[in-house]
Amino acid sequence: MKRVEVKLALSVVAPLLDLVKRTIDDLQDRLAAPQSLQDLDEDLGAAWKGELLAGQNGDCQRFLALFDSEFFASGMVAFDDTNAESVLRACAAIRLRLRDRELKSLSDEALESAGVETGHLDEAAQKAYMGYVFLATLQELIIQHLDAAILEG
Amino acid sequence: MTPLSARTASVPVPQAETELALAGRWRVVVLNDPVNLMSYVVLVFRKVFGFDEPTARRHMLEVHELGRSVVWSGLREKAEAYVFTLQQWHLTAILEPDETR
Repeated sequence: MKRVEVKLALSVVAPLLDLVKRTIDDLQDRLAAPQSLQDLDEDLGAAWKGELLAGQNGDCQRFLALFDSEFFASGMVAFDDTNAESVLRACAAIRLRLRDRELKSLSDEALESAGVETGHLDEAAQKAYMGYVFLATLQELIIQHLDAAILEG
Repeated sequence: MTPLSARTASVPVPQAETELALAGRWRVVVLNDPVNLMSYVVLVFRKVFGFDEPTARRHMLEVHELGRSVVWSGLREKAEAYVFTLQQWHLTAILEPDETR
């Protein structure tokens, strides 16, 4: 089993975790993206969303498990084929929610090009953008090192 | 239990009209969003559909540049399962009737 250990800068990441946890709390009863399927009746649509929500919540809990006592002691987090998919999806969900909730003022073009000038953002939006970029960095790390495990899993 | 099995178990679809509509071919379409990383979308396409890297990348670029890409077409039941899986990965995926056949 391939395992990737990453040492994160505690002083940078720890302050972002409150925001991340609040965002995960906000995702407990809502989907990160408005997902549905046309032609579904009400019951089936509710079952569809319920299944997606249960998966999303499970992924977010796997993500939070990265930040345990070892992380707060050493800054280390570890990815392997048991958590890589869940963490990838959780990062996507949290980023989508951050975009909808705290980064509404940014244009799609700015977000896609990563050309965001943070200087004119208020403090809350700056922190949200830092979280948004941090989560993307985790995704890139996982994709770079564990793509084979994910594709085979 | 997936919504697909939920339908089988609890929601019969007796109307002939609906059955005819569901019996045709359907397309799985992925729509653009400004959040998900290109590398992430490529990985999801490879994982879900078994695409090779160039095919996955071509579909990702279609989504990015044209706003949408048809990633699969076929029977409704399987198309629904693909849409569900793509939505689990937080991609915006929809179904539409394939009227090209």
